[in-house]
Amino acid sequence: MIRNWMCTLALLTVACGGESPDKSAATGAETAAKPAVEKKVVKFDKSTLQAEALEIALVPSPAEMQKALNNAGLQSQLSTMVEKRDIAMKAENKDQIAVRTGVVLADLVLTVQDATTEEQLARLNRLKEGFALLGAGDDVANTIEDLRGQIQGGSGSRADLLKEFDELSGVLVPELKYEAGEWVVPLIQAGSWLEGAHLVSGAIKKEAKYEEAGKLLKQPAVVDYFLKYVQREGSDKAPDQVVKKLEETLTMLKEITSKETIEEEDVNNIYSATGAVLTML
Amino acid sequence: MRFLPLALLLTVSGVATADEEEADTCLRTKIWAGYNDGWAVRTATSASLAEGDHRIYLVTMYAGNEYRLQVCGDANANDVDIVLHDANGTELMRDESDDREPLINFKPASTDTYYIAVYAGSLAKGQTKAGVAMAVTYK
Repeated sequence: MIRNWMCTLALLTVACGGESPDKSAATGAETAAKPAVEKKVVKFDKSTLQAEALEIALVPSPAEMQKALNNAGLQSQLSTMVEKRDIAMKAENKDQIAVRTGVVLADLVLTVQDATTEEQLARLNRLKEGFALLGAGDDVANTIEDLRGQIQGGSGSRADLLKEFDELSGVLVPELKYEAGEWVVPLIQAGSWLEGAHLVSGAIKKEAKYEEAGKLLKQPAVVDYFLKYVQREGSDKAPDQVVKKLEETLTMLKEITSKETIEEEDVNNIYSATGAVLTML
Repeated sequence: MRFLPLALLLTVSGVATADEEEADTCLRTKIWAGYNDGWAVRTATSASLAEGDHRIYLVTMYAGNEYRLQVCGDANANDVDIVLHDANGTELMRDESDDREPLINFKPASTDTYYIAVYAGSLAKGQTKAGVAMAVTYK
């Protein structure tokens, strides 16, 4: 009997894996029981944030403006409000070329679901011209050619094009290096934002939803960012009525968008001031 | 340009470095998966960070829209964090994860500018830099 118990005990010892595995398991348990290394919590103060902030993601996209409009309860579709026009890249002033390029880019993105094939191809042609004049390099031109080929060939859905236009406007264009200088991206963004702000203020007017204006148009930091580049040292000083008008408009928009409350009169002023610049293009 | 990788786009622009490509690819996969759920991309960008380094981004966000701030670190990164602040520098949210793919969902109460800090908390042993890609998406 005793011999049987001893045997059972011996079998259990062996079955449990002997000394080494037991030791190993214990070591594992000890490791698990060790207090985890405390995660270092890093804090950022306001002065660090202000001094080091990169502005690459500052400006909302026109498509994002459309989403904000709908989320604020407005029914308007900005795509239906985009004017059917051809914005030629005929200016000598590079600032103006950048703004024109930005407006065309905004129209391309906003009308992705509704534009005809011919309209999309025409806008892509203008974009290609604009980027070439700004010295954006061959790669963006090739990318646009790829898009043109897809559209002409009828491959891919409008949903696919939406992703690709988003990628073009939100990822590729801001990251490109332009021969003309670092001011190009902000001025392309200014063109897109100006078009978006004009359409959004038009939608607010049309639906008389002035109580939503603050939510949709109150962006003084964005306007200030554009002004910084329009008024930069060494900017193209060739006389240019569009750039002069743009500067005046941005100065006015900074004042309006800095108000505590944006009212009906302010929306009307934003609409007419942005429209005045856009009709000069 | 169908589904042209973000890494390739950034390479085209001369920005991406070798260790950023993995981070870019990871982020891009998340961005495009998000389109199936109604998300769209505002901006995506990448950087190389040493342990303890950070990048800060100023971002305008609309009240009423939902935002997803997401980051991918490459295999050199162990823990990357996102910290969101309002325009006054007050901390609003931070991800509590200990991994290299943090994410914050945020619905602003007011249209304003916000600061996003992306912080490389720890890198894999022996590594000096990690590729870190950040995207702002919305719906």
